[in-house]
Amino acid sequence: MARIGVFVCHCGENISATVDCKSVAESTAEIPGVVHSVEYKYMCSAPGQLLIQEAIAEHKLDGVVVSACSPRMHEPTFRNACSRANLNPYMVEMANIREHCSWVHEKGEATTQKAADIVRTMVEKVKKNKPLEPIRVPITKTALVIGGGVAGIQAALDIANGGHQVVMVEREPSIGGHMSQLSETFPTLDCSQCILTPRMVEVYQHPNIRLITYAEVIGLDGFVGNFVAKIKKKARSVDEDVCTGCGACWNKCPQKKIPNEFERGLGKRTAIYIPFPQAVPNKPVIDKNNCTYYKTGKCKICEKVCLPGAIRFDQPDEIIEIPVGSVTICTGFDVKKTDFFPEYGYGKYKDVLDGIQFERLASASGPTLGEIRRPSDGQIPKKIVFIKCAGSRDPAKGIEYCSKICCMYTAKHAMLYKHKVHDGTPIVFYMDIRAGGKNYEEFVRRAQVEDEVQYIRGRVSKVIEKNGKLLVYGADTLLGGKPVLIEADMVVLATAGVSNEGAEELAQTLHVSYDQHKFFAEAHPKLKPVETNTAGIYLAGACQTTKDIPDSVSAASGTAAKVLGMFAQKEITREPIIAVVNRISPPAFSTCVGCFMCQPVCPYNAIEKEEIKTRDGKVLKELARVNPGLCQGCGTCVALCRSKSIDLQGFTDQQVYSEVFAMLNDI
Amino acid sequence: MEDIRKRAKQLLEAKTVDVVIGYGEGYGKKVKAIFVRKPEDADKLIYDERCTQNIGVYLTKHEVKHFGKAAIVASVPVMRTILQLCSENQLKEDDVLTLGITLEGKFLEFPTYRTLENFLANGVQPLTESDKELMAKIDAMSISERWNFWTAELSKCIKCYACRSSCPMCYCNRCMVDYNQPQWVSVPSTEIGNIEWHLMRAMHLAGRCVNCGECGRACPVDLPIHLLTFKASEEAKINFSAVAGLSMAMPSTLSTYKPNDKENFIK
Ligand SMILES: Cc1cc2nc3c(=O)[nH]c(=O)nc-3n(C[C@H](O)[C@H](O)[C@H](O)COP(=O)(O)OP(=O)(O)OC[C@H]3O[C@@H](n4cnc5c(N)ncnc54)[C@H](O)[C@@H]3O)c2cc1C
Repeated sequence: MARIGVFVCHCGENISATVDCKSVAESTAEIPGVVHSVEYKYMCSAPGQLLIQEAIAEHKLDGVVVSACSPRMHEPTFRNACSRANLNPYMVEMANIREHCSWVHEKGEATTQKAADIVRTMVEKVKKNKPLEPIRVPITKTALVIGGGVAGIQAALDIANGGHQVVMVEREPSIGGHMSQLSETFPTLDCSQCILTPRMVEVYQHPNIRLITYAEVIGLDGFVGNFVAKIKKKARSVDEDVCTGCGACWNKCPQKKIPNEFERGLGKRTAIYIPFPQAVPNKPVIDKNNCTYYKTGKCKICEKVCLPGAIRFDQPDEIIEIPVGSVTICTGFDVKKTDFFPEYGYGKYKDVLDGIQFERLASASGPTLGEIRRPSDGQIPKKIVFIKCAGSRDPAKGIEYCSKICCMYTAKHAMLYKHKVHDGTPIVFYMDIRAGGKNYEEFVRRAQVEDEVQYIRGRVSKVIEKNGKLLVYGADTLLGGKPVLIEADMVVLATAGVSNEGAEELAQTLHVSYDQHKFFAEAHPKLKPVETNTAGIYLAGACQTTKDIPDSVSAASGTAAKVLGMFAQKEITREPIIAVVNRISPPAFSTCVGCFMCQPVCPYNAIEKEEIKTRDGKVLKELARVNPGLCQGCGTCVALCRSKSIDLQGFTDQQVYSEVFAMLNDI
Repeated sequence: MEDIRKRAKQLLEAKTVDVVIGYGEGYGKKVKAIFVRKPEDADKLIYDERCTQNIGVYLTKHEVKHFGKAAIVASVPVMRTILQLCSENQLKEDDVLTLGITLEGKFLEFPTYRTLENFLANGVQPLTESDKELMAKIDAMSISERWNFWTAELSKCIKCYACRSSCPMCYCNRCMVDYNQPQWVSVPSTEIGNIEWHLMRAMHLAGRCVNCGECGRACPVDLPIHLLTFKASEEAKINFSAVAGLSMAMPSTLSTYKPNDKENFIK
């Protein structure tokens, strides 16, 4: 007969305000197998935990139900408490009478009854619990960081400075990400390049960091602490070890009219190029689609002018496999291009720009060397209209969320414009001004007061180009929706921040979840913001949702702390809440028949083939085996298995069945 | 018939195979499966219109595997059984030698599964006229009529599990209905318990059924239960372009997700 102790918590008044805890404890005491049932104001407090520990010893309890809050909150607390009293921590169950009951119902008998029902189900469950042991796995102490924007750079440096090896994989020829495109940064207006470039160089020179640029992760096998990343290093057509970055090739390349991605189309580049002068590594790549030699078989000027002889036209793509213990995803974001907006000219008006293009115009290293000039005719605009929420907060455009960074960078843009064109008129159309953050509100005020940026609350319905001007049709909702027409010389759209190209494919490659907007999903919005649902895979920066630099960097350091915390261990212990294939006596060995239909459903690739062999090596049977390091306990295989040969530890069929029946059958 | 006997004898004499699974005379006018292990017994093999049983069911039996390498007299459904069992990791590639009988009744030997695949690509056994008729009748019913039809039919089930025993795809060591910790499907033959069993069977066979119809033939109370699994095959074909038993490496229909599947709800 079971000896179960039930501990009903008041949670201050969170539970006791609507649930009669005393009556729950009393009625629970009647359940067969319950030998001890008490209530207490704060079970999670030190005296509360002690109460449980003492009861375990005194009443020789072999199972404990703590009837309190969600297991997400305090399950670890009570497991530890029971462990201290020498009860296997997996003999503890939480009956959630707070989130599932007291918080969502009014005070009354029915509420108390529901609480008692919930407790009863967990009592029946705990009767079927079995002691479990945590799983231990070794760790490869090398961290993989995917994406070399400011978030990736921060994560890599923190981990490397913590004394561990880092492999950074960047898709583009240079690291730096969007921050390297920015002119000056809010809320301090310091030069973006000036604060970023030294860190890019630090990454390059760090003895613990191996930087692989122009490369992508195309596969990830293994499990927390023991991944193997498959990396495709695209051919640069340049031998990085030989190249000195002297620049002779890109200065001499005859193809000079290729739209420059880094300048977001506002400048031109050559076919052999570095994306920007401060690129790290400072080694060019050949853009094969635009190179005369690759297209016609003739030219090779770069090869002729390269003194060290670094050009390799026949360089193949390389596939590298690297064992790593953790993965940090820092692949960033993008913003919608102007062609997304029919009402603002479909991207056809040259003087309607997106925010990044404006950053390039304002940047000292940009196509105009920092002068704000119209792309159409090179004139200095006298009036610029900035339109916020272009796409964001617009369910009709499929983007219901706030992109968060635009209020701030638009204020910055308007200020930068004013600082560079003193007689210019910046006008901002806005829905709301969201300037939460340290010194953010002050920054926006400064734009409005010191720099006399005009803010009009309202939407812009359309922009039409006419005689070299842009006619902006808007409404001023503070004046009762009065129509406003502004003749502007330039329009800058704060276009919605969106997930980066390839994010969905990468998520699928890494087997991590993502949201409906294809941003990577965190494991918990509040308590696990830098973890993904897959153990050992973390995320930082704008790949999670559009974020500014301070937020991206904090998250990056957060992931580094997680990685360093993991690497500080000798081995990893994991919750044993995993699926297990049963074993029975020979000749069947297991009820598993080895059909392996469970294999494709496993999101974590945790299902392996196991061979049962005789002593002389003859294979008697092939069975499925769940790799305990990989399994995350989702239970999909359990549901799929026709012969019910797989069960989920901690949530076995029997446990769940008992719960359901306890719920259905009154005692 | 002579071809089969001759070839079986040769194979056994040459010890190319250890057993030939085929049909022989049974009691009365019935035929039964026989397992020929000596060349002199090869003459007991027969093949005529009475030989409808899907003898592929024996391929996964522990006792039969024990005999050693097998050749099997195989009508088209049996051929599909072989490929499907191979896809499901129950037979190894080219484990079994197929002494095939085409839809036209011609004898054709298939040395490898690849040759079976090529042959089956040209077409498989059609539904019988009576099955087609009943299927159309059921399809034309409203949902409630259909429910009533099936509850009435299934209430006659005596839970003898002949359908399960006769099905070559029901090769589990332990069937889910025999699982009693907890007991998912109720044991006695009750209306709801019968429905539970047959729906479970249909779901377990969705995308795997090779349409031999053996379950229906085996049923002692003549329930048209094979139409349930036929229907599931039809759905699998429409929704996932999956037809069981045409390839020795078919990804399992219900557990494989392809990014270009029609439905993207599961992403
Ligand atoms: C117009 C504009 C102005 C802004 N101004 C400011 C400002 O003033 N102050 C401020 O705090 N913030 C500002 N921001 C926000 C800032 O740009 C972001 O916070 C920051 O860039 C986020 O860094 P990140 O590393 O997360 O992403 P990113 O900068 O996007 O970097 C991601 C990196 O990952 C790489 N990558 C992508 N996919 C892959 C892949 N599959 N494999 C390998 N590598 C990959 C990319 O090439 C890139 O190098 C501004 C943003 C915009 C759009």
